[in-house]
Amino acid sequence: MTMLRAERVTLGYGRRPVVHEVSLDITEGGVGLIGESGSGKTTLARAFLGLLSPMSGDIWYGDRPLRKADLRAFRRDVQPVFQAEALDPRMRVGRSVAEALPRAARSRVGELLEQVGLDPALADRRPHQLSGGQRQRVVIARALAVGPRLLILDEPTSALDVTVQARILDLLAALDTERLLITHNLAVVERLCRTSHVLFAGRVVESGPTAELLASPAHPYTRALRDAVPKLGGPPPQARGRTEAVPAATGCPFRLRCPLAVPQCEQAPALRDVDGRRVACHRAEDVLSS
Amino acid sequence: MMISVRDLQVRYAGRLVADVPELDVGAGECVAIVGESGSGKSTTLLSLLGLTENAEISGRVRVCGVDVLTASPKALREIRGARAALVMQSPQAALSPATRLGTLMRRALKLHGRQGNDVDAALEAVVLDREILRRYPHEVSGGQAQRFAIALAIALGAEVILADEPTSALDVTVQAEVVGVLRRLRAERDLALLLVSHDLALVSTIADRVLVMKDGAVVESGPAAEVLAEPAHPYTRELLEALP
Repeated sequence: MTMLRAERVTLGYGRRPVVHEVSLDITEGGVGLIGESGSGKTTLARAFLGLLSPMSGDIWYGDRPLRKADLRAFRRDVQPVFQAEALDPRMRVGRSVAEALPRAARSRVGELLEQVGLDPALADRRPHQLSGGQRQRVVIARALAVGPRLLILDEPTSALDVTVQARILDLLAALDTERLLITHNLAVVERLCRTSHVLFAGRVVESGPTAELLASPAHPYTRALRDAVPKLGGPPPQARGRTEAVPAATGCPFRLRCPLAVPQCEQAPALRDVDGRRVACHRAEDVLSS
Repeated sequence: MMISVRDLQVRYAGRLVADVPELDVGAGECVAIVGESGSGKSTTLLSLLGLTENAEISGRVRVCGVDVLTASPKALREIRGARAALVMQSPQAALSPATRLGTLMRRALKLHGRQGNDVDAALEAVVLDREILRRYPHEVSGGQAQRFAIALAIALGAEVILADEPTSALDVTVQAEVVGVLRRLRAERDLALLLVSHDLALVSTIADRVLVMKDGAVVESGPAAEVLAEPAHPYTRELLEALP
């Protein structure tokens, strides 16, 4: 059984839903949540961390809904890693890490810093005395302090230089924990996640093995995302359809941006199995064959 | 040459933060400066318009034929924001939040004495509807704001665009649109483009030539295709290997 899963979860702020009936399991080998700004990926991450209650549906932690679970055990099992700005600017980073440890285990700070590739002597520094990459390592060390089984990572490298990002990705790949990675960067997902879910306007539009989604996307939105990523020495990134079209309120939410939209798309497509993945598109077969 | 730089050195409090022996950008050409945080790439770009406050600058910088380091304030105003436009990473932060985009456009045209210029053609060039002029900056998306900033440059008759990480805050799909707009403007209007970016993959798809900067110095420069395919400097190789 997977440790954490969402079952038909609808999430929102006030009465306005921004994530609609999403079901997904956090399986082994890393799970990626991919989407643009406003797709609902961070909202979903907040729900997986127990920071936001579903309007309907449930987040399941083992065999019980998260709202009925032992939160102390949950917090030891599941830890967030946000962007490095999450550190208290006045606190020495060693203390930031120590806070997460039981009193008797505070001597482990140096060991944790070493585990994330930092010199234990840096424990006496404050966040502004460290580089962006070092700060991100401290955030990871603090998350590891309680011995979690799952890390929920929200854009952990998007503010970093490429060389620093590469080293943080190496570190995350080598950790012995499961991970849910939220990002708009497909290359990062490819590196760290065996399975991926593509979100558009709060709905999962395609799920499956990351390698297959990127090699042969079945949803026009997945394909638009992939083709927009510039490749070294490759053709100029392709813009498929205009991005400023707002998601459609009825039918397929992507249809106003979709170059393949047909009248049938006014009916909302259900997620269905196509060629080894789940996809919500009436024209998935056409996308695959074109 | 729309931009011509020789022996540019920029110092803050005596410390050399950018040292660029040579940089030329011709009409219709795109040159990219790549490097990581602190490499001096943004400082170089800002110094081309005389926008580095409290910096000691030496060398020779010519933009649109104006010698920037010795020009009068009046001559500088003529190129800044008009013949040479600056496009920043966060367009929404660069636009006055309490001013509708249409008002902003009108004021900028008036300020530079270019009321007759064609706003519609400028908006069309960046694929924006005229309707956007009624909106405030917070009512448009990041990609729309960035395209508006480019439209403003076009309406003002820009011959050179200096862009500092113009797409790094945008979603990839939106980035593709903005890059498409910049490429088209280069081809159709012979615009010179100086692009500062940390994204080597992006640079490889748009730039003719590239300068790689590290710790204030240019470590490698040349045609983009050559530098990125066969990097000569270990740092360029390191940057390329770090691409995920």
